[in-house]
Amino acid sequence: MKKFAYEFFLLGLICVVLAIAAFLDPLFLSSDVQIELSSEIWELGLLTLGMTLIIITAGIDLSVGSAMGLCSVSLGLCMHANLPTGVCVLACLATGLAAGALNGSLVAFIKVHPLLVTLATYGMYRGFAEGLQSATTNAPVDASEGIKALVTGNFPLIQILFTALTAWTAILLGRTATGRGLYAIGHNEEAARFSGIPIAKLKFWIYTYTGLLAGLAAISYSARRSATAEAGLVLELDVIAAVVIGGTSIYGGRGRIAGTLLGVLLIHETRQFVDWYWQRSELTLIVIGTLLILAVLGHRFLFAQDPDTH
Amino acid sequence: MNKWFSSIGLFVACLLVIGCGGRESDRGDGTPENSNDDKITIALLPKLKGIAYFTSCAEGAQQAADELDNVELIYNGPTTASADKQAQMIDKWRLQGVDVIAVAANDPAVLSESLKKAQDAGITVITWDADAQAEDRSFFVNQATAEAIGSGMVDTMANDLGGPDAAGDVAIISATATAANQNEWMKHMKTRLASYPNLNLVATKFPGEDQNAAFQDSQDLIKKYPNLKGIFGISSVSFPGAAEAVKQAGKTGEILVTGLSTPNDMQPYVKGGEVKTVVLWNTQDLGYLTVYAAAAIRSGELKQGATEFTAGRLGKKLISGDQIMLGDILLFTKENIDQFDF
Repeated sequence: MKKFAYEFFLLGLICVVLAIAAFLDPLFLSSDVQIELSSEIWELGLLTLGMTLIIITAGIDLSVGSAMGLCSVSLGLCMHANLPTGVCVLACLATGLAAGALNGSLVAFIKVHPLLVTLATYGMYRGFAEGLQSATTNAPVDASEGIKALVTGNFPLIQILFTALTAWTAILLGRTATGRGLYAIGHNEEAARFSGIPIAKLKFWIYTYTGLLAGLAAISYSARRSATAEAGLVLELDVIAAVVIGGTSIYGGRGRIAGTLLGVLLIHETRQFVDWYWQRSELTLIVIGTLLILAVLGHRFLFAQDPDTH
Repeated sequence: MNKWFSSIGLFVACLLVIGCGGRESDRGDGTPENSNDDKITIALLPKLKGIAYFTSCAEGAQQAADELDNVELIYNGPTTASADKQAQMIDKWRLQGVDVIAVAANDPAVLSESLKKAQDAGITVITWDADAQAEDRSFFVNQATAEAIGSGMVDTMANDLGGPDAAGDVAIISATATAANQNEWMKHMKTRLASYPNLNLVATKFPGEDQNAAFQDSQDLIKKYPNLKGIFGISSVSFPGAAEAVKQAGKTGEILVTGLSTPNDMQPYVKGGEVKTVVLWNTQDLGYLTVYAAAAIRSGELKQGATEFTAGRLGKKLISGDQIMLGDILLFTKENIDQFDF
């Protein structure tokens, strides 16, 4: 019970947001609305899985949203050329893998600070995405029937993939030597090196994994909306906020997938309700930013005395 | 345990403070209250928020909503000209059960699915400023015919460059490549340009609804085409972007800029000499007419097949097919630009 104190705290916050929503506009909580709005949660959720691993090693990936845009454009190009659905999906995922692998190699092998690497690729990937789009289709590409059927058809592919990946990531983190290695890197990289943990390999792997997730998220987004260079725009704010609010320490060495999931839920419900009720596109960003700061303060003042509990 | 309660209390307090603040300032827009059934809730969606053009449309829309006491107006849009964000907003409005959605479409194809779903849910969908696909809406509130706008701009340019014998290279700075209105105007511009054989259209650029990008595209054109005599800026942000590029290149008087934008935005360039004539329509009236039309269509007063319609202070407006026409273009020059404030 004590071990999950912070998770219960988050659950409390989610209840508070929902209670406020129920008070101000009960329609928001109806199942029709919630189901329809939930279509946006999967992309956020997918990206946070990789981001949790990265932040646990005291790293960061600012480029997730831009990578998602680049993947979406490459998917769009393939659909525009009428390639088979399988090829489109593979091209999109391969773009994500490549984007992640570039981040990973620079961080792991060249040992550049992840903040710098991913700030650079944050600009680069979005630039490539926009450039590629305006040089070719010059407009968003409507999702092909095949891609639409894959994501929005009767079979909940993205939801099942998300559940499976969540379980797999949680087990990897909590029950395997790889997971212990990631915590060790975040906790004390020097010590981890001396205990023979393959630091470079693990780091390369988690950034690449995050890139792959960006590819998946891009498929989901493009099927719902359109394949466009603006996919994932400012999504990194929500992703990092969800992970940090979920209890993962930005200094590394601490964090759990369970917390991240609650962070995702909190960010999602808050964002959706602010958008829903106040109808001001700019207010949402302010609220998410405020929530992030509040959560960090809350974490520090409520839970910092007892670092062993999480 | 105590700490938990106090922190949750703090959090609630913060949310409520943000909430009340937002609500207070929001009173003008109003949020849909489903309890009141005889009110018509109109959601007005611009291509983007925060540029002078759409802000002045919104002012006119609010005037109309104030005059019609059974109308509740919501004005919200994306902060960049994004069709995806527009689709997201349309979906939310459908779930909230607004009565009318009036859209200035960034991309007819991307919006199509959301608009169809809204219509299926019994919401009246109309377009204004930039049209969607015809089957996705009932009426389009058109600022002026595409032909009047397109040939109006070309005639203005030719006239300002010296009449029927005007000669030299000209270029177009458009906006988003998928916007139906700009594409329609360009078609008519090209047709009209054929009657001025000495004007050569050398380039067309699509910087999006982005003044900085329009500025950069214009700089590139000025460098690339030494014989460039005129630039058309055919969106409200492309036009000042192009004029600023001419000014900073020191080409005032050598390269003339004309196009569509608000008189307030263009006034410095008209005074400075980069621009002789600004082409536009009354944007406040466009917002005003859109809200009047939305209310009339929803209440059944205005039906498919009508040929005219009375919109408050604007009086009778013509309807051609499924397009409600605002009227003619206005020309702003050094002489009259000070008389307009929008």
